[in-house]
Formats: sequence, C-alpha cells, structure tokens
Amino acid sequence: MRIPVGVRRAFRLPSSRARLTRELDDEVRFHVEMRATALREQGYSEEQAYTEALRRFGDVDDLRNYCVSIEVAHMQRAHLREQMYSVVQDLRFALRQFRKSPGFAFVATLTLALGVGATTAIFSVVNGVVLRPLPFAHPEQIVQLWGLDSKGHQLAFADPTFDAVATGTGSFSALAEFGGYETSIVDDGEAVRVRAASVSKGFFDVLQVKPMLGRLFAPEEQQLGAPRAVVISHGLWVRRFGSSPSAIGATLTAGRTPMTVIGVLPDGREFPAGTDVWSARETFERNTSYTAHNWLVIGRAKNGVTIDRAHRDLSMALQRLHASLGDATWTFDGTVVGLREQIIGRIKPLLLLLLGASGVLLLIACANVANLLIARMAVRENEIAVRVAIGAGRARLAQQLLIEAALLSAVGCAGGVLLALAGMKVLLALQPALIPRVGELRIDSTVLAFAILVSASTAIVLGLVAAWRAGRGDLRAALAQSQRTQGGGGASYRIRGSLVVVQLAMTVVLLIGAGLLARSFVRLMTLDPGFRTHGVVVANLAFDAGSGAGKIARRTQYLDEIVERARAIPGVTAVGVSNAEPFSGGSSNGTFLVLPGTDVKVAPQDLEAMFRDKAHTGYATYRLASGDYFRALQIPLLSGRLFDDGDRAGAPEVAIINASLARKQWPGESPLGKVIEFGNIDGDLTPMSVVGVVGDTREEELAADPLPAIYVCDRQRPGNGPDINVIIATNGGAPVIGAARQAFRQVRTDVPMRFSTVEQIIARSVASQRFMLLLVGVFGGVALLLATLGVYSVISYLVAQRGREISIRVALGARARDIERLVIVQGVALALIGAALGGVAAFASTRVLGTLLYSVSATDPIAFAGVLAGLCAVALAASYLPARRAARLEPMDVLRGG
Amino acid sequence: MPRHASDLLHGTLDVLILKTLSWDAMHGYAIAEWIEKRAGGELVIVDAALYKALHRLEDGGSITSEWGLSDNNRRARYYSLTARGRAQLRAQAATWKRYALAVHRILETA
Repeated sequence: MRIPVGVRRAFRLPSSRARLTRELDDEVRFHVEMRATALREQGYSEEQAYTEALRRFGDVDDLRNYCVSIEVAHMQRAHLREQMYSVVQDLRFALRQFRKSPGFAFVATLTLALGVGATTAIFSVVNGVVLRPLPFAHPEQIVQLWGLDSKGHQLAFADPTFDAVATGTGSFSALAEFGGYETSIVDDGEAVRVRAASVSKGFFDVLQVKPMLGRLFAPEEQQLGAPRAVVISHGLWVRRFGSSPSAIGATLTAGRTPMTVIGVLPDGREFPAGTDVWSARETFERNTSYTAHNWLVIGRAKNGVTIDRAHRDLSMALQRLHASLGDATWTFDGTVVGLREQIIGRIKPLLLLLLGASGVLLLIACANVANLLIARMAVRENEIAVRVAIGAGRARLAQQLLIEAALLSAVGCAGGVLLALAGMKVLLALQPALIPRVGELRIDSTVLAFAILVSASTAIVLGLVAAWRAGRGDLRAALAQSQRTQGGGGASYRIRGSLVVVQLAMTVVLLIGAGLLARSFVRLMTLDPGFRTHGVVVANLAFDAGSGAGKIARRTQYLDEIVERARAIPGVTAVGVSNAEPFSGGSSNGTFLVLPGTDVKVAPQDLEAMFRDKAHTGYATYRLASGDYFRALQIPLLSGRLFDDGDRAGAPEVAIINASLARKQWPGESPLGKVIEFGNIDGDLTPMSVVGVVGDTREEELAADPLPAIYVCDRQRPGNGPDINVIIATNGGAPVIGAARQAFRQVRTDVPMRFSTVEQIIARSVASQRFMLLLVGVFGGVALLLATLGVYSVISYLVAQRGREISIRVALGARARDIERLVIVQGVALALIGAALGGVAAFASTRVLGTLLYSVSATDPIAFAGVLAGLCAVALAASYLPARRAARLEPMDVLRGG
Repeated sequence: MPRHASDLLHGTLDVLILKTLSWDAMHGYAIAEWIEKRAGGELVIVDAALYKALHRLEDGGSITSEWGLSDNNRRARYYSLTARGRAQLRAQAATWKRYALAVHRILETA
C-alpha cells in the first residue's frame, strides 16, 4: 500500500534512495522475467531469452538515476510546501497572540511606527534634498564659480572679471553670468511679484535645459537694447496662461517694460530656485568696473574635467588677472563649488543631524520593543517550555518568534510610512523656505525601500533577541517553577535593565541637544535688536519708477502719498521709510571716503588713490532712511539730529551714522560735521555731512553683532532699487494691515505689496533655529516618553519577579516605606547609570550643533544639569508606581502562590 | 519496419500510457504488451523509456501505483489512472487527434 507523504513523514518512515531503488529493481526484475518467459515461449533458449529481454529493456542505470532525481525534486517541493505551511501557521499563531494581548501589540507597533515614521520622514527630506541629483543632465558637471578676496571670502563676479575667466580658462564647456531679482508683472491691473533672473549667453547650455514649449533666446535678442524677450517657468505658464500654447508670443508687462514670451521651461527645472522669468543679460549695459561684484557665475565642466582641475584652472586665471591689474580688482583668487553643494550646503548638516537624531529615536523605540518582547517571553516561558517539551525544535521556535517580530515590524512599518507622510507635510508646513528643492520632495521608492529596510532590520534584531531569550534557560526548571514565579531569573532583569540604561543614555543625548537649542533660542529671542519689535508693520512695496529724468520725482511723489495715507490710518503713530526690510539681507555694504570738507571735489582719477589710503576710508553698511524711520522703530538718537523737512533734494546732503561706526571711525571725537562720500554703493558722489548718531541695531541677522552703518536721507538719495519699505508704527494692537493695503491701493494698483509685522520678520529670520529646536525637541520628548515607559515596565517586572522576596521582608516586619525605597532605588540606579553614560555621550557629540548655537556653549552646564536632573526625576516618578504596588503586596497571597 | 517509441513526438508515450490504463490497472509489462499489440507491431516500446514515463506521470499525479499480485502470483507494481490522469487523457487525446488529422490532410493533398 502506498502511504501518503504526510503520514510517512509523521511517522518518520525512511523515504530514502535505498528504498526507492529497491522497489524499482523489483519492478525491473519482474518486467524482464515476464519478457524472458514470453520469449522462451517463442523458442528462445533460457539464456538467450534472458539476454534479449535485458537488451530490450534498455539502460537500467539511467532509469534508476532518472527516478531518483524525480523523487528528490518531489521531496524538495513537499518540504517547501510544508515550510510555507508552517509560516502561515506561525502567522496565524502570532495574530492569535496579539489578539490575546492587544495592549502589548498596540504599544509595540505604535512605538515602532514612531521610530520608523520619524526616521523615514527625515530620510525623505534627506533623500529629496541631499541625495537625489539635480534635475539636469550630468548634474555633477555643473558648478558655481566664486571669486575670493584677499581674506579668502567668496565674491560675486564683476563683468570684466567674468570675461577674463571666460577667456582664461579651458575647463568649462559653458559659462554664464546670472543675477536674480524681484519684479512685478501686471495682470488684469493687479500687480503680482515674481522672481526673475537675468542670464547671459550659455546659461541654458550650462544647465542643458531645453524649453518644453517655444524656444530659448536667439542671438539678436541677446544684444544691448534689443526688445525684451523672456522665457517663463512652467508654474507661471500654468498660473498666468492656463497652460495654453498661445502663451508663446504673448506680452508680459513688468513695471513699464513690455516683454515677449518666447519659451516655457519644463517643470522643476527652475534655476535659481523659484524663478519665474528669465531675461537676456546682454540687453543691459556691461559695467566695466572690476569691483562691481554684481553677478553670480555657473559653469559646466568639460567631460572628464574634475572639479579639482576646474578649480585650479579658475584659480590660476584669477591670480593672473590680479597680478596684471593689481589693486584695481579685489578678486585675488577663485574657487568652484558643485552646484548641488552650493544649493544644499547650508541645510545639509542640519538634515544629517536630524537624521542622526531620528535614528537615535528609532534605536530607543527598538530597545523599548525588545524590552516588551523579553517581558512577554518571561510571561510565555511556560507556553514555550511546553512547546519545546512536545518536540518543537529550536529552529522552529526561533522561526515562530521571528515571524511574530516581523508581523510587529510590518504593521509598525506601515504605520511608520503613514506617520512619515503626515510628518513630511508638517515638516514642509513648518518652513518651506528653509529647505531648498522642497518641491521635489515625495515618498518615492527609495524612501519606501528605506522604511522597509529599517523595519526589516528591526524585525530581525527583535526576533533574534526574543529567540535568544527563549532558547536559553532550563526548561524543566521553568516548567517546575512557573507555578510560583512569573519571571525567568536575574539574568533577564539584567538584560532589560541594560536596555533601559541604553535608552536613557540616548534620551539624554537628544534632550541635551534640545536643551542647548532651546537655551540658544531663548538667548536669541531675548536679545535687544536695538529697535521696537512690537506693534510695527513693514509694508514692502515694489515700485518701479522707470528710468530717466523724472525717476526721482516720481518716486518721491509716490512715497509722499503713501506716507501721508499711512499716517491717516487710525492708531498709526509714526511712518518711516527704508530701502531694506530688516533681516532681509538686502542692504549693501562697502567702502566710503572721509573728506576734509563739503566743498572738496574729488577728481575721478584721484578717487582710486584715495580709496587705497586707509586713513581716509571706512567700511559700513549702507541704508536708506527717512527721519521718521528712527521714530517708527524707536531707534534712539544719541547725538545730533534726525533727518527733517529741510533735508530735501538740492539741500546740502546729510547722513546719520550708528554708534558702532562712530566708535570705530572717530574714537574719542564727535563725528558730527564730518564729511563722507559713499558713491561706491549708489553711484552718487555728492559728499554728505554727518548730522546725527543713532543707537546700534541688529538688522542683518539677530545673532550677528551690529555692523557699522550709514543712513542716507531717503529724500536726497532715493536709490536705484524698486524696493520701498514703509515702516508703520502703531499704538499697539491696532490691525492696520488691512487698512494700509486698502489705502495704498488707492494710490496705485500696479505696485505689489507684502505686509509683515516685525515680529513675523524676526520669526522668519530665526526659522532654522526654531525648526531644529522643534524637531529635536519633539524627538527628545518622544524619547523621554519611551524611556519612561521602559523604566516603568522594567521596574514593574522587577517587582513581579521579586514578589516572594518582598513578601518575606514584609512578613518579617519591613514597613511599606522600606519596600518602596528598596524598589525606587533600583529605578534611580538605572537612571543614574543612564544619565552618566548619556552625559558623557552628549559631551562628546553636542559640538555637532556648533554653528546652530548662539552664545551658548555646546557643553553648557545648565542644559546638561537640567536635563540630567529632569531625567532622574522622571525615572523616580516612573519607579514610584511599581514601588507603591510592591509595598501593598499581601505577603500571604504571594507566598501561597496566589 | 516497426518504429521505436523514442522516435515518436515528445509526449506521445504519455498519452498512450494513459489510454492503456483507462481500461484497467496494469503493471508495466502489461502496458508495454498492450500498446505493442494494439499498434499491430508498428511500435516497439523501449522498456526503460516506459518506466521513466510511468514514474514521471506518477510524480505529476496523473497515475498512482501500488504493489499487488500478478496473474502468475508474483509481486508486481500496478499502475492505475487518477481523476487528474483521466482529464489529462481527454485533453491530450483530443489534441492528438486534431494534430494527426492536420498532418494527414497535408500529406493527402500533396
């Protein structure tokens, strides 16, 4: 009788090759003998019949091998099926286990989801911003070029310097100048602000971008005075032209200049980021000065040219230029930076730091789940002992525990990806302007692969931990004792204790990082910027006054009307005007001349010589201000006077300086009445007399010390840029933005406006610090929560395990308070070890925060002490609950085994 | 001249075995005899190939085997058709008939 495979295996019957060949041989022998008999009947002799029968049968060895190979394949398939079946069985079993203890399953998967989610969210940003190549052909060949001044600071290029680089280097297949600016397009009488870039020939060759519609600039459009043609972004095409092909040839009006749309770039290929309009740089005059550092330069390295070689090439060309020109150029040397590095350089360390922090969080989550699993193993020791006793092998047991861990991790991973999706939205909502390439972010296959990899590794680690725990220990002892104790002895406590210590240590590192960032942030926010921040609104107006003779008059007239209307708004106390928004980085700085008197006229040829004379020059930030600017921002007047109505165009020109400049330029004497010339910035060579000194302000960057500054009178030197910033001070609380917008629109509708409170502007300026603080803080908080859970569960476990000992102590007369102390000491011991380790680790690692910290040392004792003390307090609280439970144990119940 | 079954198209032997077993359970020798008799001596089965086919078919679940006693009271392995084998026979026989008919038509028209 043929025995079914399953039954045979159940009784471990030999299904060996020997049996198979024996049966086959029997079969063959029967056949050959039957044949021989038949042949004998046909008249063959006994021997002949047998020989002929064998010959007719054919190759017996071959048949035997064939049948063995069939059987082997059959066995393999059966084995595989059986394994699959056991996996399914284990999955079902795991699901049953989780249904039996939903609390454990929920906490474990949630913990994993948190870890995986945080890590995946940050990784998706790292992937999109740092790892993914730029969306251009051979992006590794694209570089940004920089000049270097005598101190090695990066400098933008002046036109002739760029020309010298273009002719003096051989490493680049294309080079281009470009400059970004803001302009406004009038659309249905309503002005919209857009970012524009003026780009030279070769710009699109460097990027190797082709238009998706229309064409790029033709040579006749790249000439001085040529009619303005523009290439627009995909985004503008969609917004403004509704994706219509008729956009080509349409006219856009920017300011007063009509521009013809000739092409549309593909989506996502905008460079510089956010640009909507590209115009040909050649339509503007070239500036012959070697010190007008107005242009950024990108280039594409030729095939096979390394960044290093391009760098040496550029460096040599600029050094030659400096050698031939001497002081006429301030560009001493040059350097190249990969375009991607250039774009992401500032954010990259922050993102990697966050990735590290989220990784630490993931480790903490893993430790927590491992801890939970070990606790469950202790509870299930009984069940496992029984399973081993009835014949489950170690491998089978390990497989089952691995599958449980894998199931946990799979659910955790799915939850983590969902959390990551939500987290990414939050990340982007928090600060899109901070992260470059933000439009390219998404959860793609790389990110999913990352999440799955992370989850698979956690599954394997967790499963191995569980299997290792299950695989050790004396089973008979476990079975014998399991009626009386719930635990698996001291070894288990030691492992769980060490896991908690590691958790605590990593939590300390995260919390100290968050603490340092928080202290630094508080320092920043409590800094006195030197001007009023509350109740002040800044209206940024992009007024294009056109060009030519009437420019100043048009601008002044417009401004007068605006200021007058702003003053009329109820609640407004002062209205000032400036050229640059605070913290916008928009102010210029440069070298000014100190003249002996107002009537001195300097011939242009002597200017060079005077500039080289350090005794008669100074360096300052250039700002444009009206008299009420200082009143609106409450910048104190220290001596002299502010600008007044007498300071008009045509009147003797005046300037106000800040205290820093007064100290630096004229120490020990009054700067009032000194005469300076600052034509280097605005091209106006008229000398100005210093009439006042005002307090220092931190208008460039909150964290930077105030710079020496010169304020010129807005009426006398209206500047070249279209940006006007109207500072509207209120008596607090009054919502003036709506009223101001309405009032300003009555003056002109085609001027784009942007309103912000100074508080908003300050918040924007510290966005990266806030971003880091928030994320590291959240990570630290979650880590603390997990670590608290860890301490709580391990101490609870300890209490359960030592229940007998505690009961005996109580029976022998120990008081509740003694028992509580006994338990709490354990928790505090864990906390102290964890805190000590974490403190050391933080001491070694917080310096990575370096530049993010403002006037707080990376080893700030207050942050360290605060976090360590806080952690010990939390650990104390987490051990108190189990301690109370221990103190209330009924000794007789425990001792009876109840 | 009788043809060796190994010359036949691949799968021919399988369908012949299935057909043979559709009458009754048989041992290998009886199958060979039955096919040769039915083919009127036109086909000679290579015995080793027959047993290969039998074991292959058994592994595939088309036939099953058990040890029994032969007419002359000797231990022999009897093969019989399973339900799956019966279905396979129906399908393959139909295919074969169509195929043979097609070849036949071509040869006749030439």
